[in-house]
Amino acid sequence: MTTYMDIISIFILITSFALVASKKITSYIKAFRIQSALLAMALAVMGYFHFVESGRIDTLVLCALIIALKVVYFPKLLNKTYDRVEHKVEKDFFMNIPMLILLCSGIVIFVYFIISGIGSFGNEDVTMQVVNMVSVVLIGVFFMITRKKAIGQIVGFLVVENGIFGAVMFGAEGMPLIVDIGIFIDLITGILIMGLMVFKINDLFDSINTNKLRRLKG
Amino acid sequence: MSFIYLAVPLAAVVLSFLIKNRKAIYGVVILSSLITMLLTLWLTYVNVSGGGNGLVLTMGILYIDSFSIIVLDIITILGFFIHIYSAGYIERDYISGKIDEKQVKLYFILMNAFVFTMLVSVSVKNVGILWVAIEATTLASVFLVGFYNKRESLEAAWKYIIICSVGIALAFLGIVFLHLSSTGVIASPSQVLNFTDLTVLAKGLDSSVLKFAFIFILLGFGTKVGLAPMHTWLPAAHSQAPSPVSAMLSGVLLNSAMYGIIRTMTIVNVNLGSNVFTGRLMIFFGLLSIAIAAIVILTQKDYKSLLAYSSIEHMGVIALAAGFFTPASLFAALLHMINHSFTKSMLFLSTGNILQKYHTTNISRIKGILKVLPVSGTVFIVGLLAIAGTPPFGIFSCEWNILTAVFSGKHYIIGSVTAVLLAVVFAGIVHCVFKMFFGEPPSEVESGEDRIAGTAVIVVLLIIVAALGLFMPDAAINLLNNAQAIISGGVC
Repeated sequence: MTTYMDIISIFILITSFALVASKKITSYIKAFRIQSALLAMALAVMGYFHFVESGRIDTLVLCALIIALKVVYFPKLLNKTYDRVEHKVEKDFFMNIPMLILLCSGIVIFVYFIISGIGSFGNEDVTMQVVNMVSVVLIGVFFMITRKKAIGQIVGFLVVENGIFGAVMFGAEGMPLIVDIGIFIDLITGILIMGLMVFKINDLFDSINTNKLRRLKG
Repeated sequence: MSFIYLAVPLAAVVLSFLIKNRKAIYGVVILSSLITMLLTLWLTYVNVSGGGNGLVLTMGILYIDSFSIIVLDIITILGFFIHIYSAGYIERDYISGKIDEKQVKLYFILMNAFVFTMLVSVSVKNVGILWVAIEATTLASVFLVGFYNKRESLEAAWKYIIICSVGIALAFLGIVFLHLSSTGVIASPSQVLNFTDLTVLAKGLDSSVLKFAFIFILLGFGTKVGLAPMHTWLPAAHSQAPSPVSAMLSGVLLNSAMYGIIRTMTIVNVNLGSNVFTGRLMIFFGLLSIAIAAIVILTQKDYKSLLAYSSIEHMGVIALAAGFFTPASLFAALLHMINHSFTKSMLFLSTGNILQKYHTTNISRIKGILKVLPVSGTVFIVGLLAIAGTPPFGIFSCEWNILTAVFSGKHYIIGSVTAVLLAVVFAGIVHCVFKMFFGEPPSEVESGEDRIAGTAVIVVLLIIVAALGLFMPDAAINLLNNAQAIISGGVC
């Protein structure tokens, strides 16, 4: 079980590198979808054990929610948004990709040192999984600040969410169900609002490059 | 039954959605905000007259004590005034053709949803649900910020939702760590993330993980509070939103997020047995916010973003005072929260009157406010003096108390730096804004106050602000003392 979780958490980390390395909007939506699928796999196994051991089904419910939203619905929504607003491929990052990858590796090393510095979370295996997930969160934030397109920022936000969700699952084996449900409601509304705003930005600015949003400075 | 006040704004959301007639919507929302206010004032009365340890009510996940009641009262009292003001403001925008009937409906639906989410955030004892509610405040208010659908307002709304969502996501990571620090201590599932239980069990929590949790929670909720350097969304959102929404954001919302920070701070301080760790962080971010706001205010060209930076400054002052964590400084921090809310809402509402006359937020293009708007102009100038920290207003006495608490704790350098920065803010406000009031108004602006109700609201708020500075009833002092005892958790 632990080995399996370790491997999945490493794969989730790798997908966030794939995300940073991808050039086109469609390919990073794909990377996000793979990452969510991996998270769902981890949840499915954990949910199975929870069900067998104590008859709890909440983890399985969450797994189903993740598949429905993050694997199916959000990528579809983002692709649809992309089709409607963008007609040509533009360069979408401020730094070149090897540089970005190098900086992300730096992030992982940084997180490793910080978290091993504060002691362990019960046992060492969990610590490693938490390191991976916190790295995913910070890489997501990093991704958001290095991309120009509004859709890139939404994907970055979703990756941050994935990382946090992973940290909850691997580190704490879940939150109270009511909190989880609240988070999902917030997440759905948030993504819908952001998607709607991408259309509005496209209408008013004729582009979804957020570096054109720079009237309000100072 | 006592938690019925949560249902009233929800009912207002549904009714604003169903009712077709514009004027009927105004009536419904004003009535519902009045009922909400009366219900919470009744709870305050029950709390104050009951005395005791400050606990008001608890039921399942819902919970109110003296500290929550202070923030609750700020939300509902200002909510009532802002709704009265909004009705006139929105009606005028409608008549001038700026917005259509659908947008009027949308405005009140979102406004009441916004109030509801803020009420939830201070009426629960589960930190996870507190987080969900604070994230929901962003979602409810983002279209209010981008209400006019102009380029600038859309830009402000985009910044607002992206920066706050990411910030608050980091806060959630902090909450995950808070949960991790309590594994092994928690006895039953109902205690998970429960700040009342966590405060009781605080000694047993894992300190190193808890410290890590506090850093993330401070960064995350600090984004929503507008602490520098995570403040960049705040001036944009406050200057682009319609004035009543700015009043709501600045006067009310910032407190709800600050509430989240202070609640976790208590747990960490009880666990560590001192305020050294949290104090250093809070004082650092507080001072940085005051400093950045002071510098920017000196060169500000837009009066609404000047007020926004002033909010950053005052949130910095509150963070600083809370960071010192002595009974006196906590008391002053709470009082400052109340004073800042009322004064800042009054100021933003008066800018609404000015904006609808002059149609610009640019300071250099405005002259002769006192001639054009004798009442709102006077309220605005007096309010600016109050917010800058002139006696006899409440802000002055709070800042004085905070500085006294800092100096009596022998933190001379921090105290002097704060005093100098507050003086710079004062100079900046006087230097930038006061030229707006005098001189000849432009010829195309017609003079005279238009909206009686709106102007009456700001005058009433001015009276409240002035009264807060001069006199405090014993009941209010008891309430603040109870809240201070709850926050200190027995550490100081």
